[in-house]
Amino acid sequence: MALPWIEKYRPKSFAEIVNQEEAKYTLASWICLKFRAPKEFCTRWAKKRDKEVAEAKAILLAGPPGVGKTTLVHALAREIRYELIELNASDVRTADRLRQVIGRGLRESSLFGFEGKMVLFDEVDGLHVKEDKGGLEEIIEIIETAKIPIIMTANNPYDPKFRPLRDISLVVNLKRLSEEEVVEVLRRICTSEGAKCEEEALRSIAKSSMGDLRAAINDLQMYLSGGRRILTLDDIKRVGERNPQLSMFEILDRVYKARWFDEARAVSFNPSFDWEQYFIWALESIPVVYKDLEIASTAYDRLSKADVFMGRIKRTQEWELLPYALELALGGVSQIKGKPRLPPFIKYGFPQRLLLLAKSKEARRRRDALVEYLAQNLHASKSVIKSEIIYVLSALSKNNQSIIEKLSKALGINAIDIKSVL
Amino acid sequence: MSELFWFEKYRPRSFDEVVDLEEVKARLRQFVKAGNMPHLLFYGPPGTGKTTMALVLARELYGEYWRENTLELNASDERGINVIRERVKEFARTAPVGKAPFKLVILDEADNMTSDAQQALRRIMEIYAQNTRFILLANYVSGIIEPIQSRTVMIRFSPLPKEAVFARLRYIAENEGVKVSDDALEAIYEFTQGDMRRAINALQIAATVSKAVTEEVVAKALGMVSPRLLRETLYEAVKGSFGKAATQIYGFVADGGVGELEIIKQIHREMLRLDVQEYVKPEIAYIIAEAHYAILRGAHGLTQIYGALAKVRRLLKSV
Repeated sequence: MALPWIEKYRPKSFAEIVNQEEAKYTLASWICLKFRAPKEFCTRWAKKRDKEVAEAKAILLAGPPGVGKTTLVHALAREIRYELIELNASDVRTADRLRQVIGRGLRESSLFGFEGKMVLFDEVDGLHVKEDKGGLEEIIEIIETAKIPIIMTANNPYDPKFRPLRDISLVVNLKRLSEEEVVEVLRRICTSEGAKCEEEALRSIAKSSMGDLRAAINDLQMYLSGGRRILTLDDIKRVGERNPQLSMFEILDRVYKARWFDEARAVSFNPSFDWEQYFIWALESIPVVYKDLEIASTAYDRLSKADVFMGRIKRTQEWELLPYALELALGGVSQIKGKPRLPPFIKYGFPQRLLLLAKSKEARRRRDALVEYLAQNLHASKSVIKSEIIYVLSALSKNNQSIIEKLSKALGINAIDIKSVL
Repeated sequence: MSELFWFEKYRPRSFDEVVDLEEVKARLRQFVKAGNMPHLLFYGPPGTGKTTMALVLARELYGEYWRENTLELNASDERGINVIRERVKEFARTAPVGKAPFKLVILDEADNMTSDAQQALRRIMEIYAQNTRFILLANYVSGIIEPIQSRTVMIRFSPLPKEAVFARLRYIAENEGVKVSDDALEAIYEFTQGDMRRAINALQIAATVSKAVTEEVVAKALGMVSPRLLRETLYEAVKGSFGKAATQIYGFVADGGVGELEIIKQIHREMLRLDVQEYVKPEIAYIIAEAHYAILRGAHGLTQIYGALAKVRRLLKSV
């Protein structure tokens, strides 16, 4: 049966996996330090002796889609001849079901001369709060008690609900591949398929895949489908690239440099346009683009009117008003009387607001955890906790260190961090 | 039942019947020829041929066995995490019927599926790839989680060009014994903006009013003002006699039975086409936006429309 190329060309061994050397070394070292593995495998791949690797109870592979997280685990199991028990988001993962599957898997003896067993909890960030009730707690329980390798994968392991999981696992990050690395793989596939692929064509596919190898291979299959033997840059231009993502810098540039109202408005039709992000960026870009105070104030006025409409839409759910908000935010900021000729290159800065949010992310996470805990224990809403109770707590804790220690224990957050929140 | 609705009755059954979309057709034909394909994600506005293309692909791949080898789930079907984990998984893991190389799962309006349901799809798409391919259809690609985007080839469907819509509508009209004028086609396109399904529905509604479909018939059938008439009225309002324009607008509501909200939406579209300086257009948009919002919040429709037109007139005088 014909396989999609992403399966046909899925790496089968550690060596075939592109450029995740750091992750491969860490994973192999952990296996070789803690479990049984073939000598030649350990000699080649187990390059780390760090304490944190040796002491990790489980491994959590993290990274964006298409960088090889699941493939890495399958390749590992194949190399060290372990039977892999996999549970992913398509499986029911309630506590009972996990106990049943893992328990059965561990009880039954391995067939086909496997050397041992290992468990892969794939896509742990796909655990469903309701449908997979108790699943997260059970995974933690399995990690704490199992005598076999437990590996997990996730796109976003930094979700606060995974904190307990992170605390007992070693998080290993897989990085996006470079354009060059993606091109290299695509070149190999072209050769294997007997196709002559222009370098520029492959580079174009790699560029629009943004380091996602799986997406790039998918796109290559589309361009070469039906036994085509030649691929040129023209073929790609004709069909169009994968979801042409625009950066916020490019979006702003298109808006400000639009010659017509309609041209500015059309920027919102791009699949990567996100109006909430646009508002944040536009707000801080106006004084960079418009030095004339009169013009800048008109732009701010239009943006503020657009913002009012966005507020109305959110409040009333009257989405038919959206075109007006976008027209004012895009065309309104772009088309202003007396607008000067703009330079070819404008240096848009990254919004301070986003930088501040990024900086304070950890503090806000701690504060949210504290608010959540207090809300549950004091029969009050989160908004009441934030606006009143937290100030009472702050005053009380000044003279009473034991309050801080109590909270620290309950939340698993160190006392100094709690103090910083209060 | 499907014979009753023209959009279903005239839904293309083969690649040759599909208007426009030449590049997409060429790609899909290659997949049929190869007997192999990746998972696909068709995205773009409604009525641009996403469902049609998916069903045509199924017919071309499987011939008479297309129903047995295709699982189609649309927005009216339950598509929560449990359906994905049970029904879709069950379908995906069983062998195809006949000599088919693989089965097909078509998930319509996939961008309305919950993130959890989409998460559950991720590994199904890989583990059962030997047996099954997925085609996801979405209006907004942003509603599809990144890991699913990564597992598919993304094909963009754009609003259909005027010529393609006109050609199809003429073909349907001829088959149904309906005469349709060029200005009627213009009015339908104006109303539906490249959405083929809505355009066919509009033609069918108009044909129930009269077998000779003109711009006036379309306007009456769809509860809108004839675009040509509205253009003349707006010109009168901002450049000519305001009183005359107000009387005409009153007539659209009182005699034509057109709703005030529909009129304000049409005014919005037309006003931005006025031959005025570009920097004036945001001001016009804001004036109309405020009137539209006021009507939605219960203000008197005609008062808001007259007020908006008076403000636009004053604005244009000042520039």
